[in-house]
Amino acid sequence: MSGPGIAPEEVDRLYDKLKKEAEAGGYHLNPDAEMTKALVKGLLTNEKRYGYQACPCRLASGRKEEDLDIVCPCDYRDADVVEFDACY
Amino acid sequence: MEVEHVPGKNVGHAMLYALSTCPWCQKTKRLLNELGVEYDYIDVDYLDGEEKSKVMDEVKKWNPACSFPTLVLDDKKCIVGFKEDEIRKALKK
Repeated sequence: MSGPGIAPEEVDRLYDKLKKEAEAGGYHLNPDAEMTKALVKGLLTNEKRYGYQACPCRLASGRKEEDLDIVCPCDYRDADVVEFDACY
Repeated sequence: MEVEHVPGKNVGHAMLYALSTCPWCQKTKRLLNELGVEYDYIDVDYLDGEEKSKVMDEVKKWNPACSFPTLVLDDKKCIVGFKEDEIRKALKK
């Protein structure tokens, strides 16, 4: 996994925050915590790299105005959740 | 271009387009490693400018949605996403 300089504590902190926000919005984080934490690490990597939390599974341009649709939670989340029960 | 080569059993040319940040791409790499097959991969998020556009044009040919992981086998078959069973089946030779 890439993401030099991402401390496990940072991952845990964002994970807890996202979990609270997700639950409050009627969503659940993937119960596979290892997988979800890898995603969270990807979000933090992208935040360090681009300045915003672009989806780790989509290619960001590095220009925020072009990437607004893929900032987590992205515009494609609900369609993915309906089709696959998870986002990609 | 940053094409990484992973040595292993030759089952034809396997080319994986991935993102370093994406856990589904990591799972795909782990599966290919577990299967012990020879493959190449590019972490497209490490590329910039012209190189990035060139690689994305290649991905687009196989997968117009340009999503990841995109696995191209022998320049013939393309598997989009971490589809474990499909990948295992396609690489069983």
